[in-house]
Amino acid sequence: MKTTKSAWIIVALLLLISLFGCKSNDPPPVAETEPQTAWLFAMDTVMQLTAYGDNAAEGLASAQAAILELESLVSVTGENSEIFRVNSGSVAPFAVSGITAELLETALAFCARTDGAMDVSIYPIVKAWGFTTDAYRVPSDAEIAALLPLVDYTAVDYDAAARTVRIPGGAQLDLGSIAKGYSGDLAIDAIKSVGVASALISLGGNVQTLGAKPDGSAWRVAVQNPEAPEDYAGVVEVVNKAVITSGGYERYFVGDDGEVYWHIMNPATGKPAKSGLISVTIIGESGALCDAMSTPLFVMGLDAAAGHWREYGDFEAVFITENHELYITEGLEGSFSPLGNYADTNVTVIRR
Amino acid sequence: MKLLKSTKFWVAAIAVLLAASAVAASALSRVSFKGAVANVYLDGELIRAIALDGVTSGYSFEVEDDDGGHNTITVERGRIRVSDADCPDLICVKQGWISNGVTPVVCLPHRLLIEIVGAAQSFDAAS
Repeated sequence: MKTTKSAWIIVALLLLISLFGCKSNDPPPVAETEPQTAWLFAMDTVMQLTAYGDNAAEGLASAQAAILELESLVSVTGENSEIFRVNSGSVAPFAVSGITAELLETALAFCARTDGAMDVSIYPIVKAWGFTTDAYRVPSDAEIAALLPLVDYTAVDYDAAARTVRIPGGAQLDLGSIAKGYSGDLAIDAIKSVGVASALISLGGNVQTLGAKPDGSAWRVAVQNPEAPEDYAGVVEVVNKAVITSGGYERYFVGDDGEVYWHIMNPATGKPAKSGLISVTIIGESGALCDAMSTPLFVMGLDAAAGHWREYGDFEAVFITENHELYITEGLEGSFSPLGNYADTNVTVIRR
Repeated sequence: MKLLKSTKFWVAAIAVLLAASAVAASALSRVSFKGAVANVYLDGELIRAIALDGVTSGYSFEVEDDDGGHNTITVERGRIRVSDADCPDLICVKQGWISNGVTPVVCLPHRLLIEIVGAAQSFDAAS
């Protein structure tokens, strides 16, 4: 009887100790992979940065600093930015910093590579349509015709050795078509440099990933349904890649004539690009490349975009047409699945 | 012999109880992390955290940014939205309800952000 009683006391004590033990010494198993998240408003959008593991907070802090620094240099509206000063023409040629120079060089290379379907000097046209101020309007053909000669990336006089830029009078540079993706690359590099192996950043719909998820599985990135942006057209599984979409649904207005006018401009016509595509998603290692290529491939249309992919092969893509068709490049076979009201849509694989 | 048997019994009993308490403790600690929580940020500062699964009847509240901009936020069990705002574009209102962490509600003019953490979701992000 006595033995039983003392045994119960021992059991009770052990139980108590084990409970305390759990609380104090036993960090919950999720601690190692508990993510650190940072939000910031930059580049006219909201950005979410999530990193996992040791030094995650440190990595996020330097990633945010890198994004804000790039914004301060290349913002087209920031009155102290280097691009603003190039556009003002008050000092010409204007000497830019190393970061701006690298971004401009990369951007000009993509303009050339897409034969002007991407053009860093499209800004006067975008402005005329009111997309820079939300005061949307349909400019007259005469107004567009007068502005179009200013849209010519080959007229950007960039001296790589001296790192100086000069643009023709009236022309305006805007690196917005590539800056977000490039800032994502800088952010990923910053996070990686402190030893973090797993991170996901979403810069206003530009998704960029470092490594795989902490459990080793691929990140699942949804592609928005261009016909119903609160819904998804598909999901792509990626490791260490950027996933960046351009869609007409992102920003548009309906004119007095009932037409939909979206923000993706065709530099050749000065009007919204109507190529039959309504969404283009680029998947690749470089955020700058994915960001830069999503717009010109949208402008080119499906056939030319597929040709461009065959020629360069340094990215994969998902194309959605206005006829509710889904196309993927062959590298996405097995990692892309259609969803929602695209779930039953036949996915056509574009091959080399 | 009898003593040995009794010791074995108690060792086994203690082991079982320890295991049971470990399971209970880990279940308890997990419970506190479970469920969708909506975090409401104004200019990057967390101003409200709402356990969405604990909402029994819907309600609304108003937030005001530093420049006097207003957003009305409505909460129901498992979901949250901006139901009214005086921002120029009303993108936040048009977005409607959210119930998972894939896409946050953002009112860029007022620097308001509502994100849901801890909800079951099948994607990590959306492009």
